Amino acid sequence: MDMNEIKEIFFQECEEQLAELESGLLKLNDGDRDPETVNAVFRAVHSIKGGAGAFGLDDLVSFAHVFETTLDCVRSNKLEPTQDVLKVMLKSADVLADLTNAARDGGSVDEARSRTLIRELEALANGETPAATEAPAPKPAAAAPKAAAPAPVVEKPAVNDEGFQPIPFSFGDFDEEPAAHYVPTCQILFKPKKDLYAKGNEAVLLLRDLSRLGEMSVYCDMDALPTLDKMNPEEAYFSWKISVTTDKGEDGVRSVFEFAEWDCDLDIHTIEEDVVSEATDDEELPMQPVPFDLSILDDGGSVAAEDEPAVIESDAAAAVAAAETASKVAQVASRAADNAKAAAAASAASAAQANQAAAAGQTIRVDLDRVDRLINLVGELVINQAMLSQSVVENDSNGTSSINMGLEELQQLTREIQDSVMAIRAQPVKPVFQRMARTVREIADITGKSVRLITEGENTEVDKTVIDKLAEPLTHMIRNAVDHGLEMPEKREALGKNPEGTVRLTAKHRSGRIVIELADDGAGINREKVRQKAIDNDLIAADANLSDEEIDNLIFHAGFSTADKVSDLSGRGVGMDVVKRSIQALGGRISISSKPGQGSVFTMSLPLTLAVLDGMVVTVAGQTLVVPLTAIVETLQPEASAIHSFGASQRLISIRNSFCPLVDVGRILNFRNIQANPMDGVALLVESEGGGQRALMVDAIQGQRQVVIKSLEANYTHVPGIAAATILGDGRVALILDVDAVVAASRGHSLRQDISLAATG
Amino acid sequence: MASKKAAQKSLSLAPVLDLNEATALHTQLMGLKGNPLVIDASAVERVGALCAQVLMAGAKSWEEDKQPFTFGKVSDPFMKTMQLIGVNIDHLLAQEIRQ
Repeated sequence: MDMNEIKEIFFQECEEQLAELESGLLKLNDGDRDPETVNAVFRAVHSIKGGAGAFGLDDLVSFAHVFETTLDCVRSNKLEPTQDVLKVMLKSADVLADLTNAARDGGSVDEARSRTLIRELEALANGETPAATEAPAPKPAAAAPKAAAPAPVVEKPAVNDEGFQPIPFSFGDFDEEPAAHYVPTCQILFKPKKDLYAKGNEAVLLLRDLSRLGEMSVYCDMDALPTLDKMNPEEAYFSWKISVTTDKGEDGVRSVFEFAEWDCDLDIHTIEEDVVSEATDDEELPMQPVPFDLSILDDGGSVAAEDEPAVIESDAAAAVAAAETASKVAQVASRAADNAKAAAAASAASAAQANQAAAAGQTIRVDLDRVDRLINLVGELVINQAMLSQSVVENDSNGTSSINMGLEELQQLTREIQDSVMAIRAQPVKPVFQRMARTVREIADITGKSVRLITEGENTEVDKTVIDKLAEPLTHMIRNAVDHGLEMPEKREALGKNPEGTVRLTAKHRSGRIVIELADDGAGINREKVRQKAIDNDLIAADANLSDEEIDNLIFHAGFSTADKVSDLSGRGVGMDVVKRSIQALGGRISISSKPGQGSVFTMSLPLTLAVLDGMVVTVAGQTLVVPLTAIVETLQPEASAIHSFGASQRLISIRNSFCPLVDVGRILNFRNIQANPMDGVALLVESEGGGQRALMVDAIQGQRQVVIKSLEANYTHVPGIAAATILGDGRVALILDVDAVVAASRGHSLRQDISLAATG
Repeated sequence: MASKKAAQKSLSLAPVLDLNEATALHTQLMGLKGNPLVIDASAVERVGALCAQVLMAGAKSWEEDKQPFTFGKVSDPFMKTMQLIGVNIDHLLAQEIRQ
């Protein structure tokens, strides 16, 4: 694994941490005061800082450090996480994300913005005291020159920062309450064997790599070294006692020795940085790492100083140091003894933590193609299993019980395999939704509007490819909603609305598709204006008679923008038509409904590509169709008394005292030309995207079955009213009904019309 | 070794003192034993732990022989590496280059 791969992994982790950070901050923003939430937020920033330090990403480290410092104040209850505080923090999370991206892709960051935020964060951390009087605080510039160990370089001033009141620290509490600054110091005993050198390893390089992990001090033990004439120049005599303060922890240290550990004696254990700084601060020896091991002290004052290791070994310096500390040595010793205890507790704790982390999120990265191949194969397996079951049933209707049991087990197994395999590709929409939170914040800032984004159903899972392609159209729509949809706060107040606008983003599964809804409580679509604009742009004739819905849908036309002034955010006239095209490219649909003065709702319905489906297998005009089970509310056998004619060709069915339009599926799909007799068939009561209920008329129900979705678009071409296809147990292709399209078609426009609208609109 | 009366010898170290160089350096130093020695490490670009061991063993031997063993000139990489591995040579530096 080369450095770039490791770095790539770091950035992936960063993404996760950033998501964690944002959701934590949003929870706090919503009034969550759970200390665990604050801790999670803190940990996220801390981890990013630690990783960034190891890669020498100074900008990231210095910003993360200031951020962390402020978060620490929240954690220790010195700073109340008010809305204002959280606003700064959310912005800081955005900048942190920018810095991470910049570090990964080499882009640039708005430096003025991050500087402003650093100042704001520092001001918050310092409470009432004005910022930057006594605490010039970690400036990025200060960190830059010392690339070797960026993390500790900025770490130090913070510990001494006036903003920090020393926290009374009791070792006894150690187990229950993690320390304010959890920066572990690893103490390493490293004694190379002859083989280490013989195999071409170099202790100097290992030490250099260690020094890159963080702040390091080294003591070289030369006791074993004989005189020149007695030595074997290729034997290993030196051994080292090293302490490294690093966010990478023991694992990071161990990884340095990965290729050498068999050829050396190695002992690594962790002690706590906090303990160290407390002790040293008290002793007024801020720059000296505390003597972790008393034997080092006894070795003639060879406490290594951090910048010039072993300098103090010179007798003069040792004498001075000894004189200065003489009276305090006893204290140091007792503290060191405590340290040892704390260290044991800490290493146990960190081990437990490591275990927890391992249990929580061990991942491997797999090429998407492989997963796809697997998914396809499992799809074939499911079909094959269905065929096998069917042929057993057909050939030997009795079937021996052992065969039947075996088949049943096989069915369960294939189903489980399929679920698991699908789960590999399916991912929650959460990351995309979280990105939207940021978009909303930024646009709200720019437009001077106050907006609250409410997300629902973030854990709704959908195929990865859909998620990847969802972000762009969603961003566009959110911008539109905030920029065009919501009114300015004063206007809202004048209208008697809450000055804070609401944008609601929801995701849910519906009819085997994922439906994403974006609703704002703004002014709604100004139909008069839209209509006028459409006439001006020659999109419609001046005297065209359009329904409200049709007018609303005009905004999906290319080159349509109603904003009076073209803003930076939206309104370049490439808005909604681009959105519509991206959604269609995903095999989805988008629709809008708007109420003047109450806001607009955009509804996107997207397929869960490659998914399996629980379907009701039905017969319509001699054809086998599959209706997604999720869409079906109930099935019923219509009685003559319940059927009512309505208008020329419409029929209604009365169900429990309410009327529901009866839709003949065979007629809608052009399987037959005349209406079937409702009494000969079965009615499926379905709920469609638009919310209304319809009774779909089919000839007969064959049964329920799990089917594998095979894309019709990919293998054939799009067929109106049909969502996809599947292969049944007998090897025949059955079409999966697109319930929403059929329902829409029943509302008056035919399926053809729907297509042409989609193409132009 | 021709003049037994402590004729000062000097040794210029090679630029690369890696694992392969340790034995050669050892031989060189052995040949200079018994004489005051000034080592010129100004050309050193890289030094490994084995050569550092040899040099320190040399210093020990010279000390036992009560002969001066000094580094007349040191390169920056040499100094830094020694600091990195915690080997203190300050007391072996020639007066004029001590800070």
